Amino acid sequence: MTALLEVRHATRIFDGLVAVDDVSFTLAPGEILGLIGPNGAGKTTLISLISGTLAPSEGEILFQDEVINRLPAFRRARLGIGRTFQIMRPFPGLSVLDNVAVGALFGRDGGQAKLAKAREQARVSLEFVGLGKDIDKRADELGGPGRKRLELAKALAMQPKVLLCDEVMAGLNHVEIEEVIEIIRKVRDQGISILVIEHVIKAIKSLSDRLLVLHHGEKIADGTPEAVLANPIVIEAYLGKKRA
Amino acid sequence: MDLLAQILVNGTLQGGLYAVMALGLALVWGVLNIVNLAHGAFIMLGGYASWYLYTYAHIDPFLGLPLTAAVMFGLGYGLQRGLLNLVIRAPMFNTLLITFGLEVVLTYLAQLVFSADFRTINPPYAGNSLAWGPVVLPLARLAAFGVAIVLTVGMWLFLLHTRLGRAIRATAQNLVAARLYGVEPRHLYAMTFGLGIALAGAAGTLYGTVSQINPYIGASLTAKSFAISIIGGLENPLGVIVGGLFLGIVESLTTLYIGQTFADVASFGILVLVLIVRPSGLLGKTT
Amino acid sequence: MKAWQIGMVLAALLLLAGVPWYGSDVLVQFGINALLLAVLAQGWNIIGGYTGYASFGNSVFYGLGAYGVAIAMVQWQLPFGVGMVFGVVLAVVFAVLLGIPVLRLKGHYFAIATLALSQVMTAIVSNVGLAGQNIGLVLPPLNNDPLFYELSLGLLTVATLTIWGLTRSRFGFGLIAIRENEEGAAVMGVNTTLYKVLAFALSGVFSALAGGIHAYWITFLDPDSAFDISLNVKMIIMAVFGGPGTVLGPIVGALSLSAISEFLSSEVTSIAGLFFGLVIVAAVVLMPRGLADMIRRLRKTGWRYFSENIRAHRL
Repeated sequence: MTALLEVRHATRIFDGLVAVDDVSFTLAPGEILGLIGPNGAGKTTLISLISGTLAPSEGEILFQDEVINRLPAFRRARLGIGRTFQIMRPFPGLSVLDNVAVGALFGRDGGQAKLAKAREQARVSLEFVGLGKDIDKRADELGGPGRKRLELAKALAMQPKVLLCDEVMAGLNHVEIEEVIEIIRKVRDQGISILVIEHVIKAIKSLSDRLLVLHHGEKIADGTPEAVLANPIVIEAYLGKKRA
Repeated sequence: MDLLAQILVNGTLQGGLYAVMALGLALVWGVLNIVNLAHGAFIMLGGYASWYLYTYAHIDPFLGLPLTAAVMFGLGYGLQRGLLNLVIRAPMFNTLLITFGLEVVLTYLAQLVFSADFRTINPPYAGNSLAWGPVVLPLARLAAFGVAIVLTVGMWLFLLHTRLGRAIRATAQNLVAARLYGVEPRHLYAMTFGLGIALAGAAGTLYGTVSQINPYIGASLTAKSFAISIIGGLENPLGVIVGGLFLGIVESLTTLYIGQTFADVASFGILVLVLIVRPSGLLGKTT
Repeated sequence: MKAWQIGMVLAALLLLAGVPWYGSDVLVQFGINALLLAVLAQGWNIIGGYTGYASFGNSVFYGLGAYGVAIAMVQWQLPFGVGMVFGVVLAVVFAVLLGIPVLRLKGHYFAIATLALSQVMTAIVSNVGLAGQNIGLVLPPLNNDPLFYELSLGLLTVATLTIWGLTRSRFGFGLIAIRENEEGAAVMGVNTTLYKVLAFALSGVFSALAGGIHAYWITFLDPDSAFDISLNVKMIIMAVFGGPGTVLGPIVGALSLSAISEFLSSEVTSIAGLFFGLVIVAAVVLMPRGLADMIRRLRKTGWRYFSENIRAHRL
């Protein structure tokens, strides 16, 4: 089976600083790929290159075998690439339901033209992430964990083929993390491929089919979670600091 | 050729005045993130203050300038402390509106108090000029230019080399950093706005010695100050000199070669172009 | 909207529509001005209130609409209706050509660029022969204030219905998403550039129509009055005072502020201006989200509403 998403030699330079350095990888249909690395390793930049909010300085990004790195962000969303933001960005003045309805109104293939149907679809996404009872709140009335789920629901309402999750578990407690892991597994069971950035190693190890490690913008490991986490280079670069 | 030289000199002298006009606006904008639509109205007030000092107390405008600036500083400090600090965290639109409201209030107050008549500060040496080859240098304009440059450079040195100046510059980066200097933020904001208004007052004094003032000059002076700040860029306090000279010379050249009515097209057209092509100003970083 | 609310709105509309029959000539003239200002406030509401782009250049649309009518009627002897269409075409062309580069700017920079554009347009039109240069154009007079009144009211109704439609359409949701978080909107599939330009153009269409009606009514226009920069500020203040990003707020703001300022200027002109300024200052401090929000929340929170607003935004 060919890859759904392929990143080839992606590089991004900010003011002379290399944030992402010649990174290549693939994401297969239905796969959950974990992306880990110390702070500042370039994880969020990499996601932004894929979702189109940043343009790669060099390299290519392919989605369903088409080069997409010249497409603006909204076109990529319409192809079926959904993302969440690490710094949560709900539409604060809108209700929780309408926040998610935006995803349904736009999203993959241009989404749903009718507001009533979009709201219906939004309600389903909100139920799915466990925010069913908060739909009438204003988005800025939700607490941190609620906003994480809202980010997920917004992206899911787009009916994406690929979901890029930027630290959807940060700041959550154990129970909440378990719940989010469960949600992500259920998303994958619908056939959606997932790229997930996470700091909680235990969570990502149990969730991911494969792990990718970035360090100073470079890919230093790619493989099964067990193999990657046993890799001395990874331990040195990433886990080593935590042990000390 | 002589005409061109004269036009360039006129533009340069005007540009110095423009620089100090924009300096206060750029300071307040860069540090407090307030685009002060009342800036021109404060310039107007400064002009009137010096006109009254000269007309009734016979204080030469250049000697009275520190006094005018001090009064305007007090006004600015009070306004920031008592009013603008109340809305500083509101969306940018609200701060624009409140300063516009101030502009309206100041303009109409000026009309009530000062009447709509044109005023010019006319010291005895106003008509004198120096000759430099074929080029004529009007004395008042030359003096205004000199003071403008001194003020701009002085402001730059103040921001670089004093504790308060460094605290102000740190505030432009972020408020937390400013706290490290041990300055109370409300006071710091008020000091910054006060300085901006003091500079506006000084600019008004200089303006009054070379042009006519009336209560309605504020809006167009604000617009010019904007243009200058943008063209020069907000990052560098010396940017306003570049912006001011640039605008002064472009206006003079446009008036000479294309026509008086196109001077505004040139200056604001350039403003739009700079915004679109180089939003950080001619001196700013390219991104 | 509930049935009684629709009933209220219809009743208010009927009351307004009847003014030429029961009101004085002065009231009708005041009404034309106030209604056209309300149209401008609604036009601004689309780009400023819903899309979050604080345009200080909508007076350009108004001026283009006015000149569209004047040039068509005076220079080409075409009927008023054709002039209105011409004005709208000019406004849309301007919105698209200049909107594309200028709508890339954010926040203050967008506001300033549009302000500068409105200054440039005044100066350019002053030099166009077809537009009568800085002398202006005199239109054929039509002494029919009730007609102008009903035209203005009709235009305001259409503008308001359009905005009401926006709030329940895909397009409107896209605009609100842009206002709330432009990058977030883009990654959800909103074509932000296209939507912003469309919103700018739509806002321009209504402003241009208002300008066209005003020009024919006043029968004279020159660059300074057609591209009056203070008009920008008026429409913004009215929209913000009433409640930007709401369907009826800008109308309430425009009509109430017009009435107050008319009343005061019949006393002393400069006092009216002064009062206007003070109202703006007080409104920004005490009710930064406009009358609509205040009326909605005042019942629940009482006077604490004002102190809460201050606490939320002070240093």
